[in-house]
Amino acid sequence: MTALLDRAPLGVAVRVTRIDWNAISVDEGRRLREFGLMEGCEIVPLHRGSLFSRDPLALTIGRMKIIIRSRQAAAIEVEPAAA
Amino acid sequence: MTGPIPSVALVGNPNAGKSSLFNALTGARQKIANYPGVTVERKAGHASFADGRPIALIDLPGTYSLTPASLDEAVTRDVVLGKQAGEKRPDALIVVVDAANLDNHLCFALELLALGLPTVIALNMLDLAERDGLTLDPQRLARELGVPVVPTVAVRKRGLAELLEAVDEAIRTHQPRDVVAAPRSDASLHQRARALARAATLSETPVRRWTQRVDSVVLHPIGGFALLLALMFVMFQSVYAAAEAPADVLESGIGVLQGWVIDTLPDTFLRGLIVEGVLAGVGAVIVFLPQILILFLFILLLEASGYMARAAFLMDGLMGKVGLSGRGFIPLLSSFACAVPGIMATRAIPDEKDRLTTILIAPLMTCSARMPVYALVIGAFIPARNVGGTPIGLQGLVLFGLFLSGIVGALLVAYVLRRSVTRGNAAGFMMEMPRYQWPRARDIAIALWQRAWIFLRRAGTIIAMTTVVLWLLLSFPKAPVGQSQVEYSVAGRIASGLEVIVKPIGFNHDIALALIPAMAAREVAVSAMATANAIDASGDEEAMAETLGERLQGKWSLATALAFLAWFVFAPQCISTIAITRRETNGWKWPLFMVGYLFLLAYAAAGITYWTAVAFGLG
Repeated sequence: MTALLDRAPLGVAVRVTRIDWNAISVDEGRRLREFGLMEGCEIVPLHRGSLFSRDPLALTIGRMKIIIRSRQAAAIEVEPAAA
Repeated sequence: MTGPIPSVALVGNPNAGKSSLFNALTGARQKIANYPGVTVERKAGHASFADGRPIALIDLPGTYSLTPASLDEAVTRDVVLGKQAGEKRPDALIVVVDAANLDNHLCFALELLALGLPTVIALNMLDLAERDGLTLDPQRLARELGVPVVPTVAVRKRGLAELLEAVDEAIRTHQPRDVVAAPRSDASLHQRARALARAATLSETPVRRWTQRVDSVVLHPIGGFALLLALMFVMFQSVYAAAEAPADVLESGIGVLQGWVIDTLPDTFLRGLIVEGVLAGVGAVIVFLPQILILFLFILLLEASGYMARAAFLMDGLMGKVGLSGRGFIPLLSSFACAVPGIMATRAIPDEKDRLTTILIAPLMTCSARMPVYALVIGAFIPARNVGGTPIGLQGLVLFGLFLSGIVGALLVAYVLRRSVTRGNAAGFMMEMPRYQWPRARDIAIALWQRAWIFLRRAGTIIAMTTVVLWLLLSFPKAPVGQSQVEYSVAGRIASGLEVIVKPIGFNHDIALALIPAMAAREVAVSAMATANAIDASGDEEAMAETLGERLQGKWSLATALAFLAWFVFAPQCISTIAITRRETNGWKWPLFMVGYLFLLAYAAAGITYWTAVAFGLG
């Protein structure tokens, strides 16, 4: 069962199944890969937004914490990692 | 054997602790300049090998790969490839990696190793990795990578001698080696890096729970935001409260110096120039050094502790609504001290349009140079009483309102610009959140000293020069007996011309006269009015401002005073800001646009304020 990362519940580890590279810019895609965020990796969405909006999203990947916008998160398909 | 001094570049990911390592290696022996043609800071310094031979070090901007996403990352690529104009290709690289984040940092390291330069890996922040439950095997990593790996803890100066020794060895024994090409695709690069990291990791216990707990408070949608506001509040309070004592000392020091010059020199042209021109003008600016340093101290502490990225996270939602990104928060916050370092800090914003918009609105943040103007006019025209029965002072409230008008104005301008002249892709926002760290006194002190030096150099050059020019313009030609020197002088006549334009918005001759030199630095408006009011400026600045305030009360209506304040919220007149904008945007187009829109806004804001006030009978 897959879902999009921008809707994924916080604090639950998920595995990236597919990234729609066409939905994000070339530079953004490269930066995601430089962060190590690519198909097959495991991530944990942790914090979402503040007082004013649901943007951005903070997540852990490996030993790093990164921030992305929900627009990019919407291009990332995930499934529960426990499987 | 004597040869040319070897030059070595420190290169690595952001947050690898590169600058701390650079500071530890070079101490305060650093030189900051710009790479020719681009405005990226070039940090260079010297260290020496154990036997005393010197070695030149440069600290390159942190980046994730050799494919740059922003201006400073492009410099890193160009320097290590030997393509940066005016910069020799380094003889060797020190690749700095965070011991606790090898998975990620080894990717860039692999890319750099493939360049074939003599290379040493600094396995940095090993102590923090151990705190995080990691036990690493540097020798294993060295065998796998084929280059020396030296564990370092920059803060405690551990491993520095070994690091330099390894660099020396690497340069001496270097032969063009068969370079193992870095894996082509990002995925295989990461796979290789992960495999290496696993091989070098002896044991790993998952800890770092407390970081998570801290973040759940700091990044809480409401609580985190309240904490951010509280921090900002404390910051601005300290800027004004804690700076008072040192500012007084500086002030009286300048007064003593003026008195000494008056006692020593005969009453000549030169004495007037030194006392009323240079000392009064430069002194009026240097008095703000404590405020600027306190603001920078806060910014540096927030940055070094890892909090700034959290603040950017919290602000991103709001800034995204007007087409900016959380990345812009740091430059805008710096702009409260001075727009010049703020605008320079925009280099880290990868999106060109996002960056340009941030540059254009940076002058709307109430910089410290506006404080003397606000302080003078508020002190003279706003009664020092509390609002209703509350402990909130009316003067403070007006000051706060002026700050707020600048911020709200900036957000509105950004909103309009992003839908017109700087339209582009919706700004992206991707950044790494560094770990929390205890800021190092040494690193903070070095950075603070560098800021202070830049500020003092500016005060000594541009501000000193304009005050001297203004003083000359006010002193010549000599008025015949019975006529006002100020009116008769060159500056007075220019002001009379300008007065025609600013009269509709309630400005008088005093203000018209002050607006011209205020182009150099906003705070000069105060000393210009002081000189123009023919008040002896040889006393201390506070006494001068006081009597000046009383003079103004007699000459200005409340409506004029309010209009003057409104003007300064948008006031575009600062040559340094215009110059830095020209440099950062590579041309005159954007600085001219910025000056134009700021003038229009200032004129409109002052006009509306004046007309409204007059309508309420305050004229």
